[in-house]
Amino acid sequence: MKPNKLILAVLAVLLIVIVVAGIRATNWFVESQEFRAPQRAAIEAPADTTPRDQGLADEHAAELESNKTLEYEPRAYRQIGGVSSRVIVWVLAQLHLLFAAFVLAVPMFALIIEFIGYKTGDSRYDKLAYEFTKLLSVSFSMTATFGAFLLFMLVLLYPQFMQYLMHVFSPTFLPYVALFFLEAAFLYSYYYGWGKFSPRVHLFLGLMLNVVGTGIMLIANAWLTFMTSPAGVSESGAVFSTWEAINNFTWMPINIHRIIANVAFGGSIAGAYAAFKFLTARTDEERAHYDWMGYIGQFVAISAFLPLPFAGYWLASEIYAFSQTLGLQMMGGAFSWLFIIQAALIGNLFLAANYYLWLGMGRVEGTTHYQKFIKYLLIAIALCFAIWATPRSIISTVSEIRAMGGSAHPMLGYLGVMSAKNTAVNILILSTFMSFLLYRRTGKRATNPMAGVLNTMQFTIFALSAAVVIFFGIYGYFVEAAVRIKFSIPQVGAVLLAMVLITIIDVFLFRKAETTSKMNWGKINPISQYVLIFIAFSFTWLMGLMGYVRAGLRQHWHVFGVIRDTSVDAFTPSLGFATKVVSVTVLIFFGLIGVVFWLASLSGRPNWQPNRKKAALS
Amino acid sequence: MKQQSNAWVMVKIVLLILGATAMYTHIGQLVPQKEVLAPTVVEIDENATPEELVDIGKSISEGKGLCLTCHTIGKTGPGLRFPDLGGIATRAATRIEGMDALTYLADSIYHPDDFIVDGFVKGMPAINKPPIGLTQDEMISVLAYLQSLGGTPTVTLELTPADLGVE
Repeated sequence: MKPNKLILAVLAVLLIVIVVAGIRATNWFVESQEFRAPQRAAIEAPADTTPRDQGLADEHAAELESNKTLEYEPRAYRQIGGVSSRVIVWVLAQLHLLFAAFVLAVPMFALIIEFIGYKTGDSRYDKLAYEFTKLLSVSFSMTATFGAFLLFMLVLLYPQFMQYLMHVFSPTFLPYVALFFLEAAFLYSYYYGWGKFSPRVHLFLGLMLNVVGTGIMLIANAWLTFMTSPAGVSESGAVFSTWEAINNFTWMPINIHRIIANVAFGGSIAGAYAAFKFLTARTDEERAHYDWMGYIGQFVAISAFLPLPFAGYWLASEIYAFSQTLGLQMMGGAFSWLFIIQAALIGNLFLAANYYLWLGMGRVEGTTHYQKFIKYLLIAIALCFAIWATPRSIISTVSEIRAMGGSAHPMLGYLGVMSAKNTAVNILILSTFMSFLLYRRTGKRATNPMAGVLNTMQFTIFALSAAVVIFFGIYGYFVEAAVRIKFSIPQVGAVLLAMVLITIIDVFLFRKAETTSKMNWGKINPISQYVLIFIAFSFTWLMGLMGYVRAGLRQHWHVFGVIRDTSVDAFTPSLGFATKVVSVTVLIFFGLIGVVFWLASLSGRPNWQPNRKKAALS
Repeated sequence: MKQQSNAWVMVKIVLLILGATAMYTHIGQLVPQKEVLAPTVVEIDENATPEELVDIGKSISEGKGLCLTCHTIGKTGPGLRFPDLGGIATRAATRIEGMDALTYLADSIYHPDDFIVDGFVKGMPAINKPPIGLTQDEMISVLAYLQSLGGTPTVTLELTPADLGVE
């Protein structure tokens, strides 16, 4: 057989490297063995004439004796090499939370989809729910691994602080572990028991998986919210009520906010999985299935995303209620510009979600009637995006504060107040809701005899809702703070009511509607799939950013106002640094979730067979 | 639909993710960059005059005291978050019948919920307690600064909370 030239070249290079390394090693060995005459000072010999062996033995004995009298000094902090302990814990906590959010969210909508399949008898839903659940098994292992890694790092790097948290929350540890075991039991029986139990038993397993998962989240949320808004402890940190420590100011708002955000995040990641499968699909049937799966994932994500700002406002108001200092640090102090980054992310998310819906109209022929409204929605969304991205108080130098007469810009500052922001976010939500309604109508014609009246009613409700939002937004500038702060309630109420009423009317309007064009699943511009991946990425990045503000808000406190951070990391890093850490974390997460997707897709592949290539060739 | 190779799809997905990462990281670099250090105790000369305390108090109000995060100086209108501090020393003397300006100002920073100006809500923390946690000397300096806004500073570091009637 003729030797390959490339292999020969590689071998030659390898040989040269080995020869050079051998010469260097030999040289080092010879030099290290060479005799060197001791350098002697030109003085008399030392008085100590103890033999060397005896001297060494004495030194060892003295060291042993000295070890016995060492004083124990507890360490408040440790470091690994020169790496910042905070960054290590930050990255690990975020990775753990991202996987945990996914593992908690997917069973929620998988169960609902399975239930729809059970009630309607449509096996497509059952298949879809199973496809979502396939992603859970590996993700659960990832969650547990990063959870354990995080715990070890916390104990190692922040021993004194962890001791304090154990002092406060030790009664919650055993229930947490018990729930974790139960979750593993329900998750694996739900996944591996698919089709092996009666549908009702299987649905029950799914329900219990959700109940137990939510219980775990509630306990973990108590630990972290206590650090931000401590309760149940004295000024020096002594516990007088564990329940109060759990049920602190921000516990329930975080619980609600996290459940909703987890669903939005889980839906978007599942949508990204479907997009990946769509783009690599080989048949139209596969493409149709994954297009539908992507749409459902996206529908789940956006449905949860729409009420999320309301939950966020509740959380923010509870933070203010707990401590104005904390609230103002968040919205008007060191973190004010973080919310501009957040606005950029959420603006992108809204734009991308609307774009996906508009592209989705392409699945149905003859949708130009609705597409003409898109430009108006786009203008509304862009305007709201700009207002939301305008800050109120900014980090300024003393001379800038003097020049502005305060920390707000004299003109643009008016767009940075809650009146403007509440108005912008509510109109943004209404616009996205309208996009969804338009998408829903594609390919259908209402046959309801009262279609004209119902359409007018929908338009009137929409216009009235927008008018209420804008009215209170403007009126808020002319009243005192005590009155203005209550205006968000009618604004949010008007939007929620409009969404509910318009949906109810729409259901009536399009019941038994005539299908004018068939929905062609799989017939969509592939760009839409990249939009789904972009949405999943933006959601993940947003979670990373908001995780930073939630924890960073405490600034130089481990437990705000109670346990001060005295480590070298007791400062708030710049936003530029924070966004770099978030980016690295999100990239690691996407690398790992790629592994999850790959492992999940292995189950659909044919089994390995020996000599398959030969068989195929013959 | 034209089928693309899996490798090409993966390349595009990776490019999309890297591009989005670069975009969001870049946005993070565009905003003002500031590391906020943990506040330290301001060392004040025990013989400082009221005028010297005004300068120190002003610096504390703009910095670790966080006063100007909420309060403004010389602004009017309904858009204020908390009462404007312009001319506060003059108004303080007229707020509560029989109470002098210094006592009113001292009470307002030691016990902020005692007097709420009409049209505003509670919310100011006691700035001598954590998390802001100003020392007694720093509190006196802030008082000197507040006295200077529409009045003449008179306080010195010898004053105790008992002297100010805020124990």
